[in-house]
Amino acid sequence: MNDVVIDIDNVSFSYGEVSVLEDITFKIYEDEFIGIIGPNAGGKSTLLKLILGLLKPNRGVISKFKYNGEILTNNIGYVSQHSTFPRDFPITVGEVVMMGHIATSSKFFHYSKKEIELAEQAMQRLEIQDIEKRKVGELSGGQLQRVLIARELVCQPEILILDEPTANVDMRIEEDIFSLLKNYSEHMTIIVVSHDIAFISSYVDRVACLNKTLVCHSTESISGKMIEELYDAPVKMIHHHH
Amino acid sequence: MNEFVTALIEFTFLQNAIFACLLASVGCGIIGTYIVVKKISFLTGGIAHSVLAGMGMAYFYNASPIMGAIIAALVSSIMIGWINLRWKEHEDVLIAAFWSAGMAIGILFLSRTPGYNVDLMSYLFGNILMITHSDLSLMFLLDMIVIAFVFVYYKHFLVSVYDEEFARLRGINTELFYILLLCLISITIVILIQLVGLIMVIALLTLPAAIASQYVTSLHKMFLLSAVICALISITGVSISFGPDLPTGSVIVLTACCAYFFSVVLKQILSSK
Repeated sequence: MNDVVIDIDNVSFSYGEVSVLEDITFKIYEDEFIGIIGPNAGGKSTLLKLILGLLKPNRGVISKFKYNGEILTNNIGYVSQHSTFPRDFPITVGEVVMMGHIATSSKFFHYSKKEIELAEQAMQRLEIQDIEKRKVGELSGGQLQRVLIARELVCQPEILILDEPTANVDMRIEEDIFSLLKNYSEHMTIIVVSHDIAFISSYVDRVACLNKTLVCHSTESISGKMIEELYDAPVKMIHHHH
Repeated sequence: MNEFVTALIEFTFLQNAIFACLLASVGCGIIGTYIVVKKISFLTGGIAHSVLAGMGMAYFYNASPIMGAIIAALVSSIMIGWINLRWKEHEDVLIAAFWSAGMAIGILFLSRTPGYNVDLMSYLFGNILMITHSDLSLMFLLDMIVIAFVFVYYKHFLVSVYDEEFARLRGINTELFYILLLCLISITIVILIQLVGLIMVIALLTLPAAIASQYVTSLHKMFLLSAVICALISITGVSISFGPDLPTGSVIVLTACCAYFFSVVLKQILSSK
């Protein structure tokens, strides 16, 4: 078993009176590819925000470790579900990808040779180098998602967190994005939130089912009954062979 | 038009006016761009109007009104920014309060100041033809401050304005850059006050940048294009107003509105083809 990179210990969270997460205990290991699924308002995005440190738990502790035992600082990448930036903002794909360097980059306009190289690599991997000069507001949902993933990959995070990365893209692009994440997961911890259990279970190592409380399964053991309990409704199950 | 060119060669005050237009366009192009992309023109209007409080106090205490304006603009932008960060849901009410309170305080102080001061009208509505060499030097200095901050922290401003959540996760102090941006806006307001006056300042801080935003793909290109548009608009305004002796500030503002209207129509025609 690999080292623990995120240790969520007995965490609860509520927005005011409304309890969203209760007694979540969950360990995430180095280079794991984890899918978090669950119904809407089941607390998936909230759990991600707690891991990122955007929210603070009411109870419990979330510890983040570096592989050598040191505490992680800024090497978590995050692609949110709803991009908050305005669509009409005058900015190109290349400029957004270069933003990935912001924490370590120098002042003024210019970027170093190494920074430019890393950005070009990320754009090539995500096959967006052809649209480098395009305005971000003109991109399709799938292209935008690739740009945002490239921006996170630029700074070579040790953990990559994605909230519904394929919510607005069609099936073929969804497959592309997940195969790509699968490749990256060989040397990176990846946490993906999705509502589509049948689809993600063929890519991820473990599935965490979240509906206020959390139950974790290896992908082999997912059964129709388990999903019914989670969603509290009959669910059609498509079986995958691993 | 010929009459204007002849007069321009002859009269120093007109040359000063043209210099003022060019200097104002620098601040206007850069800061107007941020105001438009961040959609904070109403907030900018609030800061601009609260400047009157500082000017009124400066008159009352017999100090320099433009220094009063700078201090008031900085104080109100820091206060609006700080409260806004903690009380986001009532932003419009907050702006309305600062907008009117600033004017009210200014008028109270002015009413207690003995004598009637003609200068006040020029700060409210602008009087570019009265601009002196020392005004121009001050505008130049303020421009330099704006340019210095924006050039040094270009990447930081870009990421904070574009995607605040991402910036915060990368450890950028977005609150600091937000307040800093509002301070730079207040400095630019002071640069523009002599041109069009504090009441109409909002036109030059939004319309040229809004025109430019329709035609560019990057923020730094928008700086340049909106500065050029701002210069063209203000110089056109000065030349139109000169012959029939119309209030220059008003003519500049109306020129800006016409230019914006035509650019929107032009863009519609271009994109429908």
